[in-house]
Amino acid sequence: MVRSRRLWTAGLLAVPLTLYIIIVIAPLLYSFFFSLTDWNGFNPEYNFVGLKNFERVFSDPLFSNAIKNTVIWMVVALTVPVVGGLALALLLHEGIRFANLYKSLFYLPICLSLAVIGQIWIWIYQPRWGLLNLTLEGLGLGGATRAWLADPDVALAAVIVAWVWQQLGLGMVIFLAGLTSIPTELTEAAQIDGANFRQSLRHVVVPLLAPSTVVVVALAVINSLKSFDIVYIMTRGGPFHSSDTLAMFMYNESFKKYYMGYGSAISVVLFLIALVVIALYFRQVRALEHLYD
Amino acid sequence: MTDITATLKPDPVSAAGSRPTRWRRGVRITLYVLLTALVIAYSMPGIGVLITSMKTNAQISAEGLWSLPNSLMLDNYREAWVSGNVSTYTVNSFLVTIPATLLSILMGVLTGYVFSKLPFRGSEMLFIFIVAGMFFPPQIVLVPLFRLFNTIGLYDTLWPMIIVHIAFGLPICTLVMRNFFSAVPGALREAAIIDGANEGQILLKVMLPISLPALAVLATLQFTWIWNDFLWPLIFTQSDGNRTIMVGLITLKGQYSVAWGVQGAMSVIASLPTLFIFIFFQRYFIQGLTLGAVKG
Repeated sequence: MVRSRRLWTAGLLAVPLTLYIIIVIAPLLYSFFFSLTDWNGFNPEYNFVGLKNFERVFSDPLFSNAIKNTVIWMVVALTVPVVGGLALALLLHEGIRFANLYKSLFYLPICLSLAVIGQIWIWIYQPRWGLLNLTLEGLGLGGATRAWLADPDVALAAVIVAWVWQQLGLGMVIFLAGLTSIPTELTEAAQIDGANFRQSLRHVVVPLLAPSTVVVVALAVINSLKSFDIVYIMTRGGPFHSSDTLAMFMYNESFKKYYMGYGSAISVVLFLIALVVIALYFRQVRALEHLYD
Repeated sequence: MTDITATLKPDPVSAAGSRPTRWRRGVRITLYVLLTALVIAYSMPGIGVLITSMKTNAQISAEGLWSLPNSLMLDNYREAWVSGNVSTYTVNSFLVTIPATLLSILMGVLTGYVFSKLPFRGSEMLFIFIVAGMFFPPQIVLVPLFRLFNTIGLYDTLWPMIIVHIAFGLPICTLVMRNFFSAVPGALREAAIIDGANEGQILLKVMLPISLPALAVLATLQFTWIWNDFLWPLIFTQSDGNRTIMVGLITLKGQYSVAWGVQGAMSVIASLPTLFIFIFFQRYFIQGLTLGAVKG
């Protein structure tokens, strides 16, 4: 009995685990290994260069530039989809008319590919007949028009706006699910006790939404670290690296310049940052579990 | 694990809706105005693509991208589908997405069953180890996988995408299936054991038939992510005949750099399958998002 149970356990796990180890875990460790080499992507041979790639990472102005842009990205991701998503969820949860129609509209972009979203927003930003410049001109703000994606001052912001357009709905969906799970008795009890809307929001709703908030925040951070597709499509990190994110920078160094060793070093740094987030996330989730047990 | 490992939650769409309102009139009007502005901002991009896809280049350059089309013109769709290779890209996308979706769910069923009904020493650690994969930025495996698929001769075929999507889908599929199976009463399994069933038969005949909701959630989620994926085919394919639709979109952009109408038509075609899922299986899709929201 015990023996057959063990056999079944091993048998059921064998294929998925092997695949996971070959495609996810082993390559992950290999990246650490390649980060110590000067592999160029074509030659079967490579040399060990020790920590040279990491020395280069931390002295490369393009790397600190990519870090800066990723941090900006993260800050926006932590504010707009989190705060905006919560606001939208609260609004649509309050039994507003056509709420379901609004909800569908806001989460529709989640099912679209970032490749398509990037394409759509390129048209919005198009200098001559793009929707944004036409609207600005229509409002008499002709002076504010510009070639949004070709201007190093605003290219990053322009890409982030397109990305937020998609992510806002995701935050909203998760908060809505959290709101539905709050028993109405609790908010009603707060009302009976004389709490106004703001007080009940602050002392009842937001604390009870903590699990959703943890998910939305973790999502925002991780998705900022992964930000690649939409950057690639809209600007490829340009102009003059002004919209380079860590993921984009890693791709360019590895697959455009074929510095695969150097690219691996960048991906190792990226992974270590992600690891910190994972650790914080699971700690937070654990803490919440204790709180609610 | 409070939120992400919770069992399937009621759908926010149907459960919300008819609650007493507390907004005062002035606030209400302001909110409606803001909401309307947001609604316009959210509808414009989609409407823009649709109307662009139905206009000729001449009309676009004369009247701009955002004017209404003269007629319901489908020439751009024909052009994209026939000359633009979109038919090949679409077929490739289905050839990757369907097997990868089905197999990743199958893997999740196997691991989910073990983690929920056959726990062993260290299985909880192993579970967290797998689920953590959801957070890994794919960049960490790009270079080694590029080398791996080159070495074994699978570079520039559809195989790398299928294989990688199964492996990277394992975290979310494991999570959803484990949570679902955990909620199934143990008595069901015990009764089957008394009847002489082995674990394989229990999984196949007892568990799977009642797992349809969870399988539907995963199917909509996995199909959407895999269909929309851009990074893997960009790294692992090179020739036009092996591109999937999202990367093909970018390739075609160069070829039709000024044919905005054709580009619009391609974007619409590329989005149709996931829009279909969104419209007809929205309930499952949203449930999946709130469960396994950590993938994105």
